[in-house]
Amino acid sequence: MKKLVSLAVGMGMAVLTASTAQAISEAEINNDIAEFQGFFLKRFPGTVLEDYVDGVNALPQYAHRRANWELMMDFPPYEPEMEKAEEEWSVPFANGKGFNDCDLAPATTYPVYDGASDDLRTLVADLNACLKANGEKPIKNVKRGKMARLIAHYKSQFNGKPMAVDFSTAGAQAWYEKGRQFYWAKRGQLNFSCADCHVTNAGNSIRGDILSAGLGHGVGFPVYRTKWSMSGKPWGTMHRRYGGCNKQVRASPFKAQGTEYKALEYYEAIMNTGVSLKVPSQRQ
Amino acid sequence: MKRRIFLKGSMAAGAIAVAAGAGLLAPTRVLAATWPEAAFTAKSEADALNAFFGSADAQDSGDVTLKAPLQAENGAVVPIKVMTSLADVEAIAVVVAKNPSPFATSLQIVAGSTGGMFSARIKMGQTSPVNCYVKAGGKVYKTSQEIKVTVGGCGG
Amino acid sequence: MASTKMKIKKNKTGGRDVMVLAKHPMETGLRKDKKTGEKIPAHYIQTMDFSVNGAVVAQANLGAGVSKNPLIGMSMAGAKSGDTISVSWTDNKGETGTVEKAVK
Repeated sequence: MKKLVSLAVGMGMAVLTASTAQAISEAEINNDIAEFQGFFLKRFPGTVLEDYVDGVNALPQYAHRRANWELMMDFPPYEPEMEKAEEEWSVPFANGKGFNDCDLAPATTYPVYDGASDDLRTLVADLNACLKANGEKPIKNVKRGKMARLIAHYKSQFNGKPMAVDFSTAGAQAWYEKGRQFYWAKRGQLNFSCADCHVTNAGNSIRGDILSAGLGHGVGFPVYRTKWSMSGKPWGTMHRRYGGCNKQVRASPFKAQGTEYKALEYYEAIMNTGVSLKVPSQRQ
Repeated sequence: MKRRIFLKGSMAAGAIAVAAGAGLLAPTRVLAATWPEAAFTAKSEADALNAFFGSADAQDSGDVTLKAPLQAENGAVVPIKVMTSLADVEAIAVVVAKNPSPFATSLQIVAGSTGGMFSARIKMGQTSPVNCYVKAGGKVYKTSQEIKVTVGGCGG
Repeated sequence: MASTKMKIKKNKTGGRDVMVLAKHPMETGLRKDKKTGEKIPAHYIQTMDFSVNGAVVAQANLGAGVSKNPLIGMSMAGAKSGDTISVSWTDNKGETGTVEKAVK
């Protein structure tokens, strides 16, 4: 814990306490972003902010495996699926309307804080809300398959545009703080926080793999994974991946689209301010 | 113009070898390629090469290059790309030395010239040299790289 | 929607790299069905013919050692704008797939 404390303090971030979340200001959040991004740019000299959308492939420690990704990107396995996604997006609802009529925010701004409900709107939630509002059944499986493809289709239209999530109100800042606490809190039998692996040990080995940097997480999502394609479920949203990560440290996963993962997604999206979208991602 | 001989089955037909030796043939290209069953069922690299090329002899060449990861991300899907600047390419073969059936895939040129590239995604059972052969101008050249296959890590 | 896809890219030497992505299980015949315990029969693409304007220029040979949903790429020095490239594959059961695309 000492090392983590000194690291957190060193990064200029408020140290976690066991008590309830303290209020955090917009200025402090901007400072967090600068510290977080600066940490990685310093840790991996030669990288620039843009590189981090490529995940672990951007890190020099991954050089011996990078060709996997480069060659897969010659003709990514997700391409035929993206054609399918476009078709699924264009199927009209029974009432004649379609996904293009949904009230969606620009992909670079999700999650969006909603003051009226004091809640975060994710793209997943907005798509299901749209379906419901138009008399259609919402999509039950929010972690894989069709939902992931619809998200990939929508987000990919914003490829090249930088992440710009708003956190200007007190309500939004409170959600940010929830997410930040989650990211830095220890959990599971292995007692790791997200930060233990993806900040402190970014670029280091974990069993046969290299740990990715926290910077860039989620910007390229949804992800099409070779590993998941083996069991016929190649697509995954951020919340699918969060669940998997939590299970890997022997922690009970939280519910997709629940409070914890929405807050975590919000924190990560804000840390990625300025990183441009490149959706979807091909990963192992 | 020298008469080309239509081949059935593998490219290693004895008649071709004799005719080639006697200088009766121009570049040995097949008019119609067929699936080289003997190469695919061979249990050793040498047997596979004999079945496909008619010989297991190959010369290391800097004119044949292989783009491949040093470590695979997933042994079931290992992407590789063979490239060559050699002229008159007749065939390219990819052999995974330690696979139970080492002959993984090949390309047979039937007509015209190719740009000297062959890429595929192959299965590897374990860490192994991946040996790539290019037959050009009647001779077989090769390049090789070991690809590590590991298990485990963080998956989610 | 056809399950065999083709991508044509201009390569450094002025020709075209042709890549084909086919939807196919590429079963080795050694894997067991988890529910029945029975071996899943071998089922894999064997030949893949690459043609330019109807004439076969190359044949890729595949076995069960090629990954599921195989990617096969090769390059054609002579392909030019206006040509039609087609790829047809046949598997060990006699099933086939095909895809065709014009070169830009």
